[in-house]
Amino acid sequence: MTGRPAPPHTITSAEEAIVFVIDDDESVRESLRNLFRSVGLRVEVFGSAHEFLQSKLPDAPSCLILDIRLPRVSGLDFQAELAKADIHIPIIFMTGHGDIPMTVRAMKAGAVDFLTKPFRDQDMLDAVTMAIERDRNRRDEAKVLADLQALFATLTPRERQVMNLVTAGLMNKQVAAEIGVAEITVKIHRGHIMRKMAAKSLPDLVRMAQLLGVGPASGGPQT
Amino acid sequence: MALALAAAACIWIVLGPAPTAPAYLVAVVLLVASLAASLIMMRLVDTTRRRMEAVLHGRTRAEERAIEALRGSEAQWKEVFEHNPVMYFMVDADGTVLSVNTFGAAQLGYSVNELLGQSVLKVFPAGERQMAQSNVAVCLENIGRTHSWEICKVRKDGSSLWVRENAKAVRRLDDRLIVLIACEDITERKQAEIALRQSEMYLAEAQRVSHTGSFGRRIGSREIIWSEETFRIFGFDKAPSVQLSAVMQRIHPDDRARVQRTVDRASIDEKDFEIGYRLLMPDGSVKHVHATAHTVADASSGIEFVGAVTDVTARKQAEVELHEAQMNLAHVTRVMALGELAASIAHEVNQPLAAVVTNAAACQRWLDREPPDLKEARGALDSIIKDGNRAGDVIQRVRALVNKTADQKAPLDINEVVSDVVSLVQHELISHRVLLRLELSPALPPVLADRIQLQQVVLNLVINGIEAMQPVTDRVRELIIRTSHDDSGHIEVTVKDCGVGLAPENADRMFDAFFTTKSGGMGMGLSICRSIVGAHGGWLSASGNAGPGATFQFTLPLHQEDSPP
Repeated sequence: MTGRPAPPHTITSAEEAIVFVIDDDESVRESLRNLFRSVGLRVEVFGSAHEFLQSKLPDAPSCLILDIRLPRVSGLDFQAELAKADIHIPIIFMTGHGDIPMTVRAMKAGAVDFLTKPFRDQDMLDAVTMAIERDRNRRDEAKVLADLQALFATLTPRERQVMNLVTAGLMNKQVAAEIGVAEITVKIHRGHIMRKMAAKSLPDLVRMAQLLGVGPASGGPQT
Repeated sequence: MALALAAAACIWIVLGPAPTAPAYLVAVVLLVASLAASLIMMRLVDTTRRRMEAVLHGRTRAEERAIEALRGSEAQWKEVFEHNPVMYFMVDADGTVLSVNTFGAAQLGYSVNELLGQSVLKVFPAGERQMAQSNVAVCLENIGRTHSWEICKVRKDGSSLWVRENAKAVRRLDDRLIVLIACEDITERKQAEIALRQSEMYLAEAQRVSHTGSFGRRIGSREIIWSEETFRIFGFDKAPSVQLSAVMQRIHPDDRARVQRTVDRASIDEKDFEIGYRLLMPDGSVKHVHATAHTVADASSGIEFVGAVTDVTARKQAEVELHEAQMNLAHVTRVMALGELAASIAHEVNQPLAAVVTNAAACQRWLDREPPDLKEARGALDSIIKDGNRAGDVIQRVRALVNKTADQKAPLDINEVVSDVVSLVQHELISHRVLLRLELSPALPPVLADRIQLQQVVLNLVINGIEAMQPVTDRVRELIIRTSHDDSGHIEVTVKDCGVGLAPENADRMFDAFFTTKSGGMGMGLSICRSIVGAHGGWLSASGNAGPGATFQFTLPLHQEDSPP
């Protein structure tokens, strides 16, 4: 373990990034607390899933380290529970022994990593780095989407209809025929749409439509 | 008399006053005197003859009477001889019967005439003839001396009788040697003797077969009477009696004082006693014996111990072997139970191990800092030591369970036993979603027990409880372990589950060896548990709960300081 790389600056520089640990074994969770503290990460530890849910989750990039066998509720079940509750925190699983079916299930359900105890500290830190990065991206994407949705909300129904057809690749003339208006009217709608959505070009608008999940393929607003 | 008078008169006449009488006168006188003398003589002779005749006659009568008497006596003696209930034989040096009394002949089923002149060997069975001959020969060699012996004879009808014979050889007037034999029928006595001997033989044989000897000792006496088997058990040469001190020497030195105490106390109290002890034989081998004795008042109003001593070495040996076999089986089942717990045990070791590795990594990182954070590094090292010890403890406990150890009974706290087991099954409880409730009564008095064996019992009951709750999905799977202490000097351990409960048809059989309801079970667990608890003087039982599930409980006697190990 000598010659290890210096603590990754991506983590230390990550603002307010926080690691949550749930393990019923005090030794294990305290050792993880110690490890994360030694690399300057904020960490909070819990003895059970219940304790974790009782605490207020901060609005910051974070990840959850979870023992797959927990008293009362298994880690996998808890993962499912969080997903159902629309909590999208990246999860790193720990297990006493490598159990392939469990690993598969956990990874399918979106786990970042699956580490077997005792794990290499670097593996854990790498997994945490990746998980926090993922969470940060997710949070960024969510923010972008939220902004787009706010812009999209300013469109009139007719404008949304036109945006749908335009981003689906229809010419103005075709759009006009489709919705039964003059071509010039379509052009005016289009100008409004580009301005309201702050789109620089048609491809830009198409990307936005995809992010918003609107368009003919996504079953967007149709008449 | 008259004759002398006449002669005197003549002489007087002749020689007296001779001149006074003439010669013729003298002659006449002489004549007359002669006549008179003759007459007197004749009378005298006659009287004498008559007297003689009378004497003679009397003598004849007396003789006749004597003969008469002799005859009577002879007849009487003859009667005695013939009918005295003793068999008389007179044989010559060749063994030919010269005389036999009627009784004697009749006893043998013969008439006298049938035996007279015959060889006396005729009345002996073939097997006894040589002895009969040699007996006669001995008599002939020692003339006049009486010899006696016991011998079997055969009757005319072939039946046999035992007799005691007194015999001696005498020389007759005609210089012939004869042997006089008087024999008495002792068949009844002999049969009684044989029966007695047989009964004694049966008894001795029974003692030998059962390895049980008998003994007797009058209280206060230093001497003991032993049966043959007792001599054999103690390895002593047979003797009329043995000294108590010699017996004590044979007793194993470790048991000697105890035996002495028991015997002394029994002698003082005149009470029955029973004791098991060991003998140390001269070849160094050890025998286990069990002695029981009870007191009997003997004829002279003394008290006597009469008892039996049994060599139980083989039984002890079998017991030891059985115990060893049980221990081996217990070990096997223990290892199997641990096998079932492998995941749980791995978890128990792995958790602290993971913590150690993680803390070590953290420690390195604290040291790698610029400047190194020694306080944090030291904190991490403290945790490493603590977790390392924790992993070591788990391994220690597992190793103890896996090790094949002999009984090591020591006073111990049953709550510690329960805690040891609980620490091994944590993971098992979690993975089966079982909630464990411990209701351990504090400050329980100690029990004298083998820690590992009791751990095995608790472990088995806990695993059974967990498995019994496997199918339960509609309620909390709760397992309760309770320890308590009752007034009758017992510790009680209860393991209660809320699982499938006991099928009534299995309730009786579940403690049997090889009885199992599990597909992968060997069916030894509960059987071993019951024998372990039994070996500790306790009892393991099971009962169905009022609600769902079953309760297993076992009792153990409290450890008493003076109880033997």
